[in-house]
Amino acid sequence: MNNNEQIKLTLPINAAYVSAARLTASSVANRLNFDIEEIEDIKVAVSEACAYIIRKNAFNTNNDFKIEFDLSADKIKISLSVESAERFEVDDEEMSLLVIKAVTDSFNVNCQNGIFNMTIEKKHVQTSFN
Amino acid sequence: MDFSMTSKFSENPKCWLINIEGEVDIFNSAEMKTKLIELIEENPVDIRIECKNLSYIDSTGLGALIAVLKKTKEYEKSIYFQNLKPGLSKLFKITNLDKVFVIEGDLDE
Repeated sequence: MNNNEQIKLTLPINAAYVSAARLTASSVANRLNFDIEEIEDIKVAVSEACAYIIRKNAFNTNNDFKIEFDLSADKIKISLSVESAERFEVDDEEMSLLVIKAVTDSFNVNCQNGIFNMTIEKKHVQTSFN
Repeated sequence: MDFSMTSKFSENPKCWLINIEGEVDIFNSAEMKTKLIELIEENPVDIRIECKNLSYIDSTGLGALIAVLKKTKEYEKSIYFQNLKPGLSKLFKITNLDKVFVIEGDLDE
């Protein structure tokens, strides 16, 4: 792989579209030649992150949220972001976040300038990429 | 894959036989919870859930199942899961729910 590639997805804050995010995550991870278990982990992490954002923005359903998949030879970085007028507290013990932490290599949450952002990274050992 | 759930009452042993197919997530977990609680209230016996065609469940689905378990415990009954796929079995272990529910015959065994 010579250049990093990026896939961007914009979804309504609507639970009906979480399956679309999962499907995209699986497809993108498959392109990077992740194995079946790693693809499953990425799918789980994306789904939990979407569900977390939707739950926290239940008051904000006219808004969209964005998912960006940054692909490189050795890892996938996934960023989810949503404009949020209210700064909501992150509960580290919430089941969604526990699951994301367990299935990924890196997970960060921050809220700055009215944008809530979640960043997930998953590395893999194989580097072949067509 | 869409979500579907069917139920059948078994006389021997007395239990609800549930078959869940597809994906359970934030979109349909409340529907699953409502249906299962209705069954328990109709006839309070153990619930046995066949999962061989369950391809995915997220934490909201697991949370819904915890709510159903609380209801079954009011009647001193349990929830059994059969034939969980390896990826789903992993989720139950991550969340320690494998110690709360009865897991039988994982597909990775």
